[in-house]
Amino acid sequence: MQLRISVQDGAPIYQQIVEQVKYLVAAGRLKPGDDVPPIRVLAEQLRINPNTVARAYLELEREGIVIMRQGFGTTVAHVKTLLPRREKLRILAEPADVLLTNARHLNVGLEEVITLLRERDAAMQPESSK
Amino acid sequence: MKFPSPSSAEAVIAVSGLSRHFGAKAALNDVSMFVSRGSVLGLVGENGAGKTTLIKHLLGSLKAQAGSVRVFGLDPVLDPVGVLGRVGYLSERRDLPGWMRVDEFMRYTQAFYPGWDEHYAAQLLEQFQLDPAQKIKTLSQGQQAKIGLLTALAYRPELLILDEPSSGLDPVVRRDILEAIIRIVAEEGRTVLFSSHLLDEVERVADHVVMLQHGRVVLNGRTEDVRGEHISAVLAFAEPLAKAPVLAGAHAVTGFGSEWRVLFGGSHLELEAAAALIGARVVEERTPTLDEILVARAGGKGS
Amino acid sequence: MNVGRLFWRTPTGAMLWEIWGRNKANFLWQAAALAAGFFFVGCNEHGASRDASANWAAAAFSCFLLAYLHLLVCCGYFEVDARTMQLSYPRRLLFKPVSTARLALMPMFLGGIITLSSFLIWTELVLRHWVNFTPSGLIWISAVQLSFFWWIQALAWSFPFPMGRLFVLIVMGIIHFLVWHMAQTRADAWSGWHWPILFALLLSALSVAWLGLKLMRRGKWESPSRISLFWTRWTYTAAQGRRQQFRSALAAQFWLEWRRQGLLLPAVSGGVACLFIAVAFLFRKISGTAGQSGDPEMAASLITFFVLPTLAVPLILSALLAPLMASFDRFHSTGELPVYIAVRPMSNGGLVLAKLAMALATSALTCFVTAAACLCLVLPEKGILFSKAGLVTPFGPVGFMTGCVPVLLLLVIWTWKNLVAGIGAGLTGRTWISVAFSLGTLYVVNFGPFLLVDTARTNVNFREVLLHWLTTILIACLAAKITLSITAFVLGVRRNAITARAVGWMAGGWLVCGLFVAGFAGHVCNEIHKPDVWIWAGLGGFLILPLTDLAIAPLALAWNRHR
Repeated sequence: MQLRISVQDGAPIYQQIVEQVKYLVAAGRLKPGDDVPPIRVLAEQLRINPNTVARAYLELEREGIVIMRQGFGTTVAHVKTLLPRREKLRILAEPADVLLTNARHLNVGLEEVITLLRERDAAMQPESSK
Repeated sequence: MKFPSPSSAEAVIAVSGLSRHFGAKAALNDVSMFVSRGSVLGLVGENGAGKTTLIKHLLGSLKAQAGSVRVFGLDPVLDPVGVLGRVGYLSERRDLPGWMRVDEFMRYTQAFYPGWDEHYAAQLLEQFQLDPAQKIKTLSQGQQAKIGLLTALAYRPELLILDEPSSGLDPVVRRDILEAIIRIVAEEGRTVLFSSHLLDEVERVADHVVMLQHGRVVLNGRTEDVRGEHISAVLAFAEPLAKAPVLAGAHAVTGFGSEWRVLFGGSHLELEAAAALIGARVVEERTPTLDEILVARAGGKGS
Repeated sequence: MNVGRLFWRTPTGAMLWEIWGRNKANFLWQAAALAAGFFFVGCNEHGASRDASANWAAAAFSCFLLAYLHLLVCCGYFEVDARTMQLSYPRRLLFKPVSTARLALMPMFLGGIITLSSFLIWTELVLRHWVNFTPSGLIWISAVQLSFFWWIQALAWSFPFPMGRLFVLIVMGIIHFLVWHMAQTRADAWSGWHWPILFALLLSALSVAWLGLKLMRRGKWESPSRISLFWTRWTYTAAQGRRQQFRSALAAQFWLEWRRQGLLLPAVSGGVACLFIAVAFLFRKISGTAGQSGDPEMAASLITFFVLPTLAVPLILSALLAPLMASFDRFHSTGELPVYIAVRPMSNGGLVLAKLAMALATSALTCFVTAAACLCLVLPEKGILFSKAGLVTPFGPVGFMTGCVPVLLLLVIWTWKNLVAGIGAGLTGRTWISVAFSLGTLYVVNFGPFLLVDTARTNVNFREVLLHWLTTILIACLAAKITLSITAFVLGVRRNAITARAVGWMAGGWLVCGLFVAGFAGHVCNEIHKPDVWIWAGLGGFLILPLTDLAIAPLALAWNRHR
């Protein structure tokens, strides 16, 4: 699992990890059942505080992306998220706000944003289904 | 792994109201900070802000002229043995006995700490690629930092204090040192305090950040909170301005003509309100890096 | 056009300004020494007897010697090189766009002029009252000392091997002494040769300095020499066979102290003793009595001029070198503790104990070396000395030899006492305190008693008064010592600089040893048929053993460690 952490980026480090893991899962580079590196190993590899990695993993577990098991490490979850629909939309509202704020500052209209979203979704389809 | 919360963990370092004068100059002015067990504190500030002075107080090298310093609940001046036996220290200027060989220095240090782990020391020696038969004065700067760090880590201290661990070192050595520090942090219950000018290191590794400026604490909080409290924004004016606008709550204002970049301390709404007051429009916003916050607070114009 | 300002902008002017700027405080010390010299001159003028005059002469001469040595160090233009930890030419100047000849010759000329002027001031204003200098004699001795000064500079700048340096320096010292003596005796075999030899010495000093700097500029001694690398690796392999761990933290600290400072005093004492031995040997050769033992005058002069000074050398050196022993790392720029000592989990009492133990070991070794040197000195005259020794004690020569053992022990204790006093002051980390203390110890504690005894011997009135008040003075000193020690101990325990148990050990040890020394002194007084002197000997026994210094040392270290 290769992640890239950028301190210059606006987002907190744990969030960057969460986002990148979610991206990898969605793009099919991390399949359900795959092992995710233990906290210590990932912290040393990325040279960041293990607490940050732990926080990222907890967040991922909370959102149902990974499962943490005592003694067996962390693996990517098989089942899709079990969160209620309301909770899912609440989670999506935040990145949506960021996207819309940026669009507003750049003077990009809503229709163009929707077109962009369709394009990006198409690009993200897993390799096998193309 | 739990996140240490102030209520559950005891304070390993408790500094309250510490002041220190050297002649007429105030090196530290009413500094208070608490470090709980298991956390990593990054101490940042310009040269001469008082970081090394603060660290010297923690080791008992300086007596507190006003206020109190407690490490593990003990006063480092009155009980040096109790405090220093559990602390590992790497000083900024390394300050090693140049006439000793590497193995002699390790043997000498080992005699003072019953918890010295020989296997771990040998492992570090190999990992740092140090030749035990060389005299310390013939080692390069990076190697001296490594042997200093080795003799501070080998007895697995509960508290690790590092004063500019990466200063003057090439990126390869810096990586080795950072990895060694993170391995320490991953062990339960070990606390790390380090001061550094390399702020991206501080952001990566530190849970908490304390920023000193002219001997005062100007920032104190969790790393992401500290960043979240500031906004780096671009303000656009209708007309080009001859000189920098004065924005209430801004730490630094730079730019030219009709677009000015500000580093603002406060929330998004406060920024919009302040901008509206001087007739500007916010066109871009992002979270600044610790580097930008430090530079802005150190030299910027504004409050 | 301001010529003055233009001068300061030249390299010469800059170097001169640097010598002045760096040593402003040191020139104050020089002025103080000169003032002391004048004071002794005044005492001499007002004094009456000739013997007292000899004492004032000794005092003034010692002032001159210390001042001169101090000036050599200040104007020698050397700095401690951080990398190799040795005295050498300031490296930063080697990168300046100045020719090597100018870099070498300018400080030598400037330093030479300063030391020469100081020498002439001292001889004309102070020493003239006791020694008659003819103009040619003055020129001669000034030239000799200039040559020696230049050789010191040349060796310090260009010779990076510390042991080799010392050896060459001693050899050059002997050569210079020979050259000086040559002119004094005007031995016919050498007449006319002394000036050319001196010129050769002067020129060779300049050449060695210039050559050394040239090689340093080319980077000849940048990396450690192959010999030192080989030596380090050899000691490392040899150390692998021995026990790997120290028995305790105190043992480790003692090891550090011994490795760092342990051999300093024995080496310097041994070097000076070697000088004495060589000079005595040459003295006999040159005065033409070589091979003729049994001359009582020769034996007497041997004792007075060589054996007694050799015995006095550890005492003087210990008083002077004690501030160096007090530091943990000689080449550390400030008096502060180096970090790798200050951060060790060892109490101040423990650190002091390791240092004091090292001081005792070093005193013992120094006195052993000195005793061996004295033995070498008296060996040529052993026949007549043994017969004389038989007259002194009723037990004959064997008794005399066994009687030497307590004398040696006394020497060890006195050396240790000087060291401890200086260490206590030196641990404060403030240079002026340790320098003042070391000079005070040298003059008051070491020279003072001899001066008193000498004056009492010659001046009958003074002797009467002294004998009348001696008991009171000794009791007052003892009371002051005990009071100071108790105060220091109490403060130390309160500030956690020393444990109550350690205080008990120190005080108890002092009492027991004091009783032992007092008892032995009384026994000796009985033996030499002077039982009334017993009480003074007893009190002296208690006074000589250090207690206040032991009490003050942990406090001084605590004051330094926690600023």
